[in-house]
Amino acid sequence: MRLRTVPLVALAAFLVVFQVFAQVDPGPRGGPPGAGAPLPSVAANNPVTILTFFNDAKDRFEETNSVFGTIPGEPDGGLGPRFNSRSCVACHSQPATGGTSPATNPQVADATAHGATNTVPPFITINGPVREARFKFFVDGAGNPIPSAPDGGVHALYTIAGRVDASTCTASVIQQPNFANMIAKNNIIFRIPTPVFGSGLIENVDDSTLLAYRATNPGATLGIAGTFNRGGDGTIARFGWKASVKSLEQFSGGAYNIEMGVSNELAPNERPSPNEDRAAGLPAPCRLNATPEDHTNFNTTAVGTPSDAVMFALFMRLLKPPDPDPATPGGSTSIARGGQLFADIGCMHCHKASFKTAPSSITPDLGNKTFTLWSDLQIHRMGTGLADDIQEGAAGGDQFRTAPLWGLGQRLFFLHDGRTSNLYTAITQHASPGSEANQVIQLFLAMPVQNQQDVLNFLRSL
Amino acid sequence: MALVLLLWLTVVPQGQILVKGTAPAASDATTPVPEEGRVAGGRYRNAYFGLTYPIPAGWTEQPAGPPPSDSGTYVLANFGIPRAFVVVTAHDLFFKLNPVADAKELLAEMRSGLESRYTIESEPAAVTIGARTFHRLAYASPVAGLRWRVLATDARCHVLVFTFAGADSAALDAAEQAMTGVSLQMTAPVCVAGYAEPQNVVAKEDPLFTTRRFNTIPVRVIVDAKGRVKHAHVLSAFPEQTQAILAALRNWTFKPYRAGGRAVEVETGIVFGMPPGR
Repeated sequence: MRLRTVPLVALAAFLVVFQVFAQVDPGPRGGPPGAGAPLPSVAANNPVTILTFFNDAKDRFEETNSVFGTIPGEPDGGLGPRFNSRSCVACHSQPATGGTSPATNPQVADATAHGATNTVPPFITINGPVREARFKFFVDGAGNPIPSAPDGGVHALYTIAGRVDASTCTASVIQQPNFANMIAKNNIIFRIPTPVFGSGLIENVDDSTLLAYRATNPGATLGIAGTFNRGGDGTIARFGWKASVKSLEQFSGGAYNIEMGVSNELAPNERPSPNEDRAAGLPAPCRLNATPEDHTNFNTTAVGTPSDAVMFALFMRLLKPPDPDPATPGGSTSIARGGQLFADIGCMHCHKASFKTAPSSITPDLGNKTFTLWSDLQIHRMGTGLADDIQEGAAGGDQFRTAPLWGLGQRLFFLHDGRTSNLYTAITQHASPGSEANQVIQLFLAMPVQNQQDVLNFLRSL
Repeated sequence: MALVLLLWLTVVPQGQILVKGTAPAASDATTPVPEEGRVAGGRYRNAYFGLTYPIPAGWTEQPAGPPPSDSGTYVLANFGIPRAFVVVTAHDLFFKLNPVADAKELLAEMRSGLESRYTIESEPAAVTIGARTFHRLAYASPVAGLRWRVLATDARCHVLVFTFAGADSAALDAAEQAMTGVSLQMTAPVCVAGYAEPQNVVAKEDPLFTTRRFNTIPVRVIVDAKGRVKHAHVLSAFPEQTQAILAALRNWTFKPYRAGGRAVEVETGIVFGMPPGR
């Protein structure tokens, strides 16, 4: 008995020591959401009626769409015929409306809502991240990828076939993509939703401010040298995982069509899958509504007039940034120390703390404000470990926008595809052949464990 | 072979970047370019710079860096042990966003950018290593327990920078000592900033881009003694841009560059696309 006890004691002692001296992701910060409210000047209704617009925009962001808007409780029409989920908030809800992937994945229920007959793909799980799927390359008639034909488009998870409101758009007309084959051929990548808190501040940073920071080229002797993605007008684009989207209206219009299948004034046509687009287009029995399905409402007044897409953009634009917690987790000393370490080892070369906005014509708190987002809004090469082989504008298969870290403390999933919920893993995965972050990660790992813990605490405080 | 081909056709390989975006390219495969160094026999060799660097004993090659940037930054090599590393970078002075004249100025710029929380262990100063002038800066983060020693020297209108960093001071000392074995011996054209200005260009053809991309495309060219483009190295461009630029440069001619009373080869830089800093 004693012989058995000694090793157990030794094991317990080892585990205690290990727990004390191994860095651990504190996990999502508890407590009330540090985000989801409007900017203070919006909450103060400055200018007059802006709060009414914000509240209406939030309502629309939270509404569920059906095909014709005839299902009780789902008054917005236009869903599908292909979609990833049925409302904005379904994907943007953690820790509050406007956030990112929630703990319970709504896409599982979406698959069969109102009689839909979709199969849930294996990369969608009830406790996993909300995901969209993109195929790296188009496939030939046998379903094999064609490396000379990059695809990169979103292949929506589901169709409306089988739903009570699907009308003529049946399973014999439209089918889900063959995800199993794409997984087997390593021809599929995933993206999770980006949180949209504080987006109006990001939108209102002048290009000259971003360019001036880039010109200082911090971290060049460590191999860091980002660049910008550009919109069609040549100015700096800044939204999305690869910063390929110029403005919040383009972001909302694109997402409304791609993620929910709702054509609108910014993306005015019903969207076939990329494969259908290459072939005969969207089947006629699935073109169920006149287009664009979402549009300016001419028969109403004031707050009801703008389209959903415009109001989604307004909602995102007027959300205040997430609030950090100066004391949780790990205490204020550890968090402050972690912030300094984060800067000292070079994370801040890319995850730049703050920028100042230009004057705003919309509301006072969008103009001339210094805000803390933790991103340079540049695209950087992130190596083979994170590369997704998707090109968006000037961003190649290995280039990603520096993810803004504000609100990170209450996020559940990390990196563009939500591959991990562990912050430490997310940090170390910044390093791989071809990554600009290799040396910074080497410095992170060279530090004592307590220092690494302080960095984790700092990040989870954001 | 047939099996390999079949696998290629049916499964996209992992761990490779297949859709590259901008990438470097050159007009021929024989003229050395900066990004093509090699490790062999415990040494890193780079033919473009004539650089031979003895890898510190016990240090191993670390993951490769990114391709050249559109601002002329290269990660040439990276060696390390668990708590220390050296990264060798090159900075093309023709394309640097915030222009500097040489290694001395680059280190001064770096020093001025260091915030007060760092402890400066050694201010920038010239040192001689293997009969060559380097500029050295050493600093530390007391909070992080990390130290940096930076050695920079000039080569072909680039600044070559050796950055030693980590928590293992003894290993960093030893690695820095090993720098005495570094040699930089090259026979290279004279490099001249701005030699592609209009007064030196006799004939030129603008590249015809089929897609407007808004990216900056830095190109190093070697002009022979007769004024023809002998070699072009596109640091960062999309493939169709590279094709258009290389085709156009074949029709460029320059006034022969003269040095010591005779026409000689000259190396210079040209920027296509978006101007640097835009």
